Amino acid sequence: MSHAQSHLDDHFALTRSQIHAEALIEKVRTAGDGAVVTFDGCVRNHSLGRRTLHLEYEGYEPMALEKMREIGEQLHKMFSIDRVAIVHRLGRLEIGETSVFIAVSAAHRAAAFDACRWAIDTLKRTVPIWKKEFFEDGAIWADGELPPVPGAASAVESAS
Amino acid sequence: MLAASSPARYTAAMQEITARVLFFGRLKDIVGVSEVACSVPEGAHIGQVFSQYVQRCPELAAYRKSVVASRNREFVSFETTVGAGDEIAFLPPVSGG
Repeated sequence: MSHAQSHLDDHFALTRSQIHAEALIEKVRTAGDGAVVTFDGCVRNHSLGRRTLHLEYEGYEPMALEKMREIGEQLHKMFSIDRVAIVHRLGRLEIGETSVFIAVSAAHRAAAFDACRWAIDTLKRTVPIWKKEFFEDGAIWADGELPPVPGAASAVESAS
Repeated sequence: MLAASSPARYTAAMQEITARVLFFGRLKDIVGVSEVACSVPEGAHIGQVFSQYVQRCPELAAYRKSVVASRNREFVSFETTVGAGDEIAFLPPVSGG
């Protein structure tokens, strides 16, 4: 039953149109699951005390997709989960819209909760996607996180 | 007699390769393009590619410590050697999610 390495029922995508949460939940939910845990990342109307008008997301698309797939592979190694779906939206997003959606199914809820949390935390550190925030008086690229780089690490990171 | 600056010696020392270089986020805004073909001496590392663009766009220098590089879509250090036809990208801190 289980796919040793390629989890063919997992789903990873970048999209420029609205993310449909229900459809993604259906993709991961099977008769053997006791839980589906989801993360819905949405566009907030403020940032550091300023009113946000809208956002624009840009991605290094082929690499972003590869990194999302790697997160999926890691999830299966680290947690007893069934399936995972991760979709990130790019382009212009309005307040309240979903920018990223993650759904993880598992036989038991603890693994699904833990995996979903690990997935979004890792996505925010390692997937090459950038957010530009538009305010009434201008736009800025949001501060982000430096992905860990093999062999380089400590000297630079200790500066922050 | 051939002088030290003979064309033959010059060519041998400066064998060049071409890589695709991509810029994202604020780096793309600074450089003004998202993708360029870049020629570097064979054996050059990614840090030298970045330095080429710092010379053209001095504003980039301030971002050196907050930029990571990728080679063929894998994160690598700036000391990594560039190969012919590589896809090198300079990535600001990521802010997806």
